Amino acid sequence: MMKISQDFAPPFKLIAPFFILGSIFYLLSTLYVFSFNVNELSFTDPKVLSFTHLFLLGFVMMIIFGAMAQLVPVVLEVGHFGVELFYAIWPLLLIGTLLMVFGFLYSSALLPYGGVIVLTSMMIFVGEIFLTIAKVKKLTLVMSSVLISNTFLFFGIIFGLLMALSYAGTISVDITSLLKAHVFSVLGGYIAITIMGLSIVLVPMFTLSHSFSLRPLEISITLMSVTVVLAIIASLFHLETLSFIADVLAVVAMLVYAYLIFIIYKIRPRKENDIYAISLMFSYSSLVVSIAIGLLYFVKGTENYLLASMWLLFFGFFGFLITGHIYKIIPFLVWFERFSPLVGKQKVPMLVDMVPTKSSQAQFVFGAVGVLLVTAALLFTSKALIGAGASFLVMSALAFLRNVLYMINFK
Amino acid sequence: MAMYTKDEIFQAISTVIDPEVGFNLVEMGLIYDASSDDEGNVKVTMTLSTKACPLHQMILQWVKEAVEKLPNVKEVDVEVVWEPEWNISMADDNVKKALGA
Repeated sequence: MMKISQDFAPPFKLIAPFFILGSIFYLLSTLYVFSFNVNELSFTDPKVLSFTHLFLLGFVMMIIFGAMAQLVPVVLEVGHFGVELFYAIWPLLLIGTLLMVFGFLYSSALLPYGGVIVLTSMMIFVGEIFLTIAKVKKLTLVMSSVLISNTFLFFGIIFGLLMALSYAGTISVDITSLLKAHVFSVLGGYIAITIMGLSIVLVPMFTLSHSFSLRPLEISITLMSVTVVLAIIASLFHLETLSFIADVLAVVAMLVYAYLIFIIYKIRPRKENDIYAISLMFSYSSLVVSIAIGLLYFVKGTENYLLASMWLLFFGFFGFLITGHIYKIIPFLVWFERFSPLVGKQKVPMLVDMVPTKSSQAQFVFGAVGVLLVTAALLFTSKALIGAGASFLVMSALAFLRNVLYMINFK
Repeated sequence: MAMYTKDEIFQAISTVIDPEVGFNLVEMGLIYDASSDDEGNVKVTMTLSTKACPLHQMILQWVKEAVEKLPNVKEVDVEVVWEPEWNISMADDNVKKALGA
């Protein structure tokens, strides 16, 4: 008998802090949007850098790391090397994130400390993943994506630490030459490739889609890997043409991936539009619009377009992809721990019973309106729209936090 | 002579419900075959909707326990196969209708 994804589910108390903290950081990120002065926003603005790290480290990375504690055994088909290491990851990531956020805002002297603590947290994570992968006998495409993405994360955080040390004046390196290497390693190399690999396991699992080719996934992961390597070389050696080629390849990689998701969506037998389905629809639509606005930036060169494109990528694509999956992952983990031992002995809830329907819909609607309003605010430089968008986003994030706690405490 | 027919074993397994989709394994079309001998040894051949199912072992255990509830059953062997690969056409019409397939 072929054994796959055995009972490797880690204890929920190990994963719960990642999801609770991630939800709180999501709320803090939405509150931060109120402080945006839309007339002065720029990618070099320390306030924007602080916000970016608050959202990406505190929300995106925190949730991805927590989810990986559960998903890695499912994807790799072996148990963790040392799942207890995850107890050390979230406190370090929490402290490191806060130091970096405050460091960008108030004192750059905090950045090396924050950087080293984040680096330590991520090294533990990457090390644990590599040692788990070492137990795998034969790598599949999805398993390879985990290996590739974590390798890029390793380099991404090294570049980040060098920048943090230089920012604080501890060492002297050219920050601008490391910036693109850092951004592409983390965003394209780690987050995008992780999303590509895991979503091809999770989305068909929840939509019951079958019989689709994985060739587009192979192409998109290969293209994105090449993109990141080219971007690092271009960044370190100031090669403009190579940098442009990397940008184009990144767009193509994401479009090929989006096409595969569209195919999976089109052939899905499970057509109900629950919170998971609508969150993913908004997420992938945001990705496509983000790419379109990004292309406008290349044509017109206006930074507002780039800001709007990145905003949609972060809060639209990453944000809704993560919140949508949380409505599947948390109920499963809680159910597995609390109710699975009772199966056959007493009536147990279905996973869908554990999701607060109205509150999750409210979170989706407020969040979607907020994301669109802030996108419009960035495109049209409207201060009023920023405030309106932030108000909707805060309501959405409060509902999300409430929903996470509701699902965690479901009895 | 078989102690239980295929239908009787399927009936026993139909008490096992997939908590994600809310349908039992038999109406989902996940149970491919079942047989028993005259000594009460039962063999179930089944699949799962995905190889990455995190409930893999638990579902197998539930199937085993459901069959063991039949009187005089001695041993239950549950075999998971991936050929033919499951798809929605194997599910009952009520499942397809409820899912919108």
